[in-house]
Amino acid sequence: MKVHTQPGNCRPDQHDSRRNFLKGTIVTAAGAVVPNWGALVHSQTIAAEAKRLGKRCIMLYMEGGVSQIDTFDMKPGRPTAGPFRPIKTNVDGIQVCEYLPKMARHADKLAIIRSMKTKSVDHGIGGYHMHTCYPQSERVPHPEIGAMIAKYCDNPESDLPSFVKMGASGNYGAGYLGPKYDPFVLGTDGRLPGFTNPSVKPEVQERRGELLKFMEDQHAKVHQARPFASVREAELRTIRLMRARAAFDVNEEWEKARERYGDTHFGRGCFTAVKLAEAGVSFVEVGQWGYDSHNDNFSCHKSLLGRLDPAWSSLLEDLQVRGLLQDTLVVWTSEFGRTPLINSQAGRDHYGRAWTVVFAGGGIRGGQHYGASDKDGFDVAENPVSEGDYFATIYSALGMNHRKKHFLGTRPIWATPEGSKPIKQLLG
Amino acid sequence: MKDELRKVRFGKWACVLWIGMLPSVIFGGELPLREIIDREIKAAWANEKITPPGQSSDSLFLRRIYLDLVGMIPGYEETTGFLQDSDPKKRKKLVDKLLADPRYARNQARVWDVSLLGRNPKHVGHQDNRKHFRGWLEMQFANNEPYDRLVHKLLAAEEDGSQLYYVVHRGADDLTTATMRLLLGTQLQCAKCHDHPYNSWTQRDYYGMAGFFVRTFVHEGEKKENVTRWFVGEKSMGQVNFTIVPVDAKPGTKGEPVAPKFLGGADLQEPELPKDFKEPKVEKKKAPPKPMFSRREKVVEWITGRDNPYLARAAVNRSWAQFMGRGFIHPVDDLNEDDQGSHPVLFKEIERQFVAHNFDLKWLVREIVNSKAYQVADIGTATQAAPKFYERARVRPLSVEELYASLHLATGLGVEAAAKGRPSNDMLKYLGDPVDGRGDFQGSATERLFVHNGDVFRNLCHPRNDNLSERLLKGSESPEAKVDQMFLSVLSRAPTEEERERFVRYLNVEGDDAKQASQRMEEAMWVLVSCSEFRFNR
Repeated sequence: MKVHTQPGNCRPDQHDSRRNFLKGTIVTAAGAVVPNWGALVHSQTIAAEAKRLGKRCIMLYMEGGVSQIDTFDMKPGRPTAGPFRPIKTNVDGIQVCEYLPKMARHADKLAIIRSMKTKSVDHGIGGYHMHTCYPQSERVPHPEIGAMIAKYCDNPESDLPSFVKMGASGNYGAGYLGPKYDPFVLGTDGRLPGFTNPSVKPEVQERRGELLKFMEDQHAKVHQARPFASVREAELRTIRLMRARAAFDVNEEWEKARERYGDTHFGRGCFTAVKLAEAGVSFVEVGQWGYDSHNDNFSCHKSLLGRLDPAWSSLLEDLQVRGLLQDTLVVWTSEFGRTPLINSQAGRDHYGRAWTVVFAGGGIRGGQHYGASDKDGFDVAENPVSEGDYFATIYSALGMNHRKKHFLGTRPIWATPEGSKPIKQLLG
Repeated sequence: MKDELRKVRFGKWACVLWIGMLPSVIFGGELPLREIIDREIKAAWANEKITPPGQSSDSLFLRRIYLDLVGMIPGYEETTGFLQDSDPKKRKKLVDKLLADPRYARNQARVWDVSLLGRNPKHVGHQDNRKHFRGWLEMQFANNEPYDRLVHKLLAAEEDGSQLYYVVHRGADDLTTATMRLLLGTQLQCAKCHDHPYNSWTQRDYYGMAGFFVRTFVHEGEKKENVTRWFVGEKSMGQVNFTIVPVDAKPGTKGEPVAPKFLGGADLQEPELPKDFKEPKVEKKKAPPKPMFSRREKVVEWITGRDNPYLARAAVNRSWAQFMGRGFIHPVDDLNEDDQGSHPVLFKEIERQFVAHNFDLKWLVREIVNSKAYQVADIGTATQAAPKFYERARVRPLSVEELYASLHLATGLGVEAAAKGRPSNDMLKYLGDPVDGRGDFQGSATERLFVHNGDVFRNLCHPRNDNLSERLLKGSESPEAKVDQMFLSVLSRAPTEEERERFVRYLNVEGDDAKQASQRMEEAMWVLVSCSEFRFNR
C-alpha cells in the first residue's frame, strides 16, 4: 500500500535515461531491451563522457570520536594539551601530533578544519548525523553520504558498485534514495559479502543467464513499465559485479603494499580503497575502530594513530602516483571530537563544540587551516563549520548540487539543510 | 453529443454503458458502483484523449486477483481449472470465492499491519507481539467489521491484541502524525514547525490535535510466553505546549499550553479537575486507572463519527490505491480541501456509497475488483508503474510475504506450505523494502545477488521433497507438457510457442544423464521464478 509519486514532478525515467545509456545498458528510455546482455560494448564517446564526470570520494571514518587536540589542533603549553608533542610539517605554520610523522610530510595536501561545531554528541546520533547530514530525531530515512555520492557521481563505466563500505561505522543505508544506492558492505579486511560468491559454476551462470535474458526480452517486447526495466537493469549490474569480483581481491598486490600501509585491517582497507577508486568506485568508506577513549585516551590514541599514519599517508601517495588525487576527495572524519579537559581516568569524553576534520585531494586547496578553536580548545574561535557546511563542502568539491531536492512522499528534503554553505576557501 | 462521441470512440463498451445506465433511468434505482467506476474511468480517458485499453486475459486476471485478494499466486490446479472454465461469469464467481477464503482476511491484515506500523517499527519486542496484532486485525477482516468500527476499536485499544498501534506510535507527536496520516490521510505533521505550505492548516491546528494524545501512555502488563499484554492508559493532567517557531526555539523554551481542538472544528470543552487532584499511581503490570476525563475518548469519537470529513475519504482512497495502484489523491495520505483528485466525481461517489454501505470494506473491494477498470490489460505505452488515468494495469512489486508464499506455490509445494511459513530475515532484508522515498520500485544489486546466490530461491528449485522440479523429473509426460506445467505453475499462464520450444530444448540432455537433467530442471525453474514477470503483480 506504499504508493507515492509527486504529481507535477518529473518521473525518474526522465532523469535516468542518459544514465542508463551510459551504463551501457540493456534498457532504453522506452524500456525495450538492447540485446547486449553479457558482452557489453562501450563506445569511445561513452568512455570519454564518463571520465569527464569521474569524481570520487574516500572517507576515512574514525569510529568512536577522534581527539582533535591529540592530532591536528594541539594546544602545547595549555592545561588541555595532554602529553603528546606537536611536530613540524612540510608547511610552515601547520603542526601535527608526533604520532603522525608520515602525515606531516603531506600537510601541503591537507585542508584542516579546526572549527567543527556539531550537535549530536553520542555515538548513535553522532554517527547518523555525520553520515546523513541530518539529526536522527527527525525520523526521516535520510540516505548516508555514500548513497548520495553514489547517485550523483556514479561512474557508468565501472562494473563495480558505486558505494562500498568497509569497517567500523554503522549502516545508515540509502534511505529515501532507494535500495539501488545501498552500500555494498565488505568485511573489515575487505572480504566480500557472502551473496557475491556465485552459487553456480560459470558455465551454468552463463547458460541460465541466456535463458533468463530470453524471458526478459520476450516480456519487454510488450511490457514497457519502468519497474520491469529496473529489475533488468539491476540484473545487469549484478552480473557485471559478479564478473568483476576480482577487483576486490588485492591479495597479490597487498604483499608488496603491506609494509607501507601497515599490516592492519585499516591499512588493507585503505589500500583496497585506492584500488577501488582506480577501478571507478565513486565512494569508499574505510573505518578505523576504537577511538572512544573515556579511559586512557593517550595510550589509545597513540596506538591507533600509529596504524592510521602509514595507511592514510600511503593512500594519499598512491592516489597521487596514479594520477587520481585531483579527482578523489579524501575525507578524514569522525562522529565528533573529544573534550579538551582530561578526566580522572586519563580519558577524554565526547565533544562537539570545537573539533577537527581534514580534507585532501579532489581539488581541495591543501596546506591550510580553516577556522580555529580558542586557546584551550573549548569553543570555536573563528569560522564555525556546521554539519550542513561540512556536507555542502564535500558535495561541492565533487561537483554536486548540495541543495539538491528529493522527496519522501509529499515532503521535500534537501541534500543539506537550508543555510548550509560550502567553505569557499577550501574549494579550488 | 458527448455520449455520441463516446459511442464512436468506444464501440462495444459504449453499448455496455448504455445498457448499464438503463435500469437507473427506468427504475430510478442506484447503479452498482462497479458500473459507475467504469463510466467515470472511461469518461476520463475520453477527456484525456487516451485510447481505451483492452481487458486482461483470463490468466492475467487470475494471477492479479489471487495476489490482490489472498496474497499469493494461484496453484497449478486452480489455474488450469479457471482457464478451462467456460462460464461467462467465472471472474465474478472467483472474486466471491476468494473474498470468502480465510486467506483474504489474513492478507488484508498483513497489508493494513504494514501500513499502520511500517516494515521495521520500534518498541515491538518479540515478533510474536506483531503476530498477535496481525491476528487481531485478521479477526476484524474475517468478521468484516465495518471500517469505522475497526478504527474505533484500534484507537480504543481495549481488545486483546489491538494495542500495538500505541506501542509503536508513542507520545503526542508520533500519535498525532500517525493517526492523521494513516487514518485520516492528511499531512498535518507539516504544520508542527510551520503553517502548512499547501493547506489552510496552521500550527494551532497541529498542536490542537496533539492535545488529545498528550496524556496517553502505554503500560506494560504481564507477559504470556512471548506476547506482552499492553495497556493504553491516559493521565488526567498534562498539556501540549505550543512553541511559536520550534525550529529556532532556544533549548528549554516551553511555550504556552494549548487546548485540544478538533481539526477544522471547535476547542474541546473539558471539565475542570478538582483543586486537590493528584494523579493516581500506576501499578506495575496492572491496568492503569481511568482518567477523570478522557481526551482520547473524545478524539476517537470525532475520528470515527459519521460526519468526520476525512475518515471515509481516506479509507476509500487507500483501498482504491491498494487495488488500482494509485489513489485518486496521490500519494494516498495527502488529502486536503483543494485537491479533489484525478477523478473528482467518482471519488465523491465512492465515498458517499461507502458511508451509505455502512463502511463495508468487503463490499468496496468487491465493487472495485469486479469493475472493468480493475480488470484492464497490462500492455500499453505508458512507462509509469501506475498510470494516472488507469489506462494500463499498475505494476506493483510483490510484497516479501507474497513472494514467499508464491515461491512455494510456484515450485509445487502447495498452498499449506505457502501459507504456513514466513520469510526469513535475509529475505526480509533483501526483498522487503524495494522502494525509494516516493514509493517507486527500484531494482537493486543486493536483491539480485540474493536471488542468484541466496539459498531460498535455489533450494525451492532444486529437485527434492516432491517439489515440482522433482515430480517433473520423475514424470512421464511429454517434454512439452512438462514445460506447460512449469509455466502454468510459476507464471499462471501457458508458454508461448517460442517459449515452449526454447524450454524443451533447454531441458533436453544427451543420453540418460540424470544428474544433468536434474541440473537443467533446477536452472529452468530458477529462471522462471527469477524473471521480472514473477517479481510483480500487473
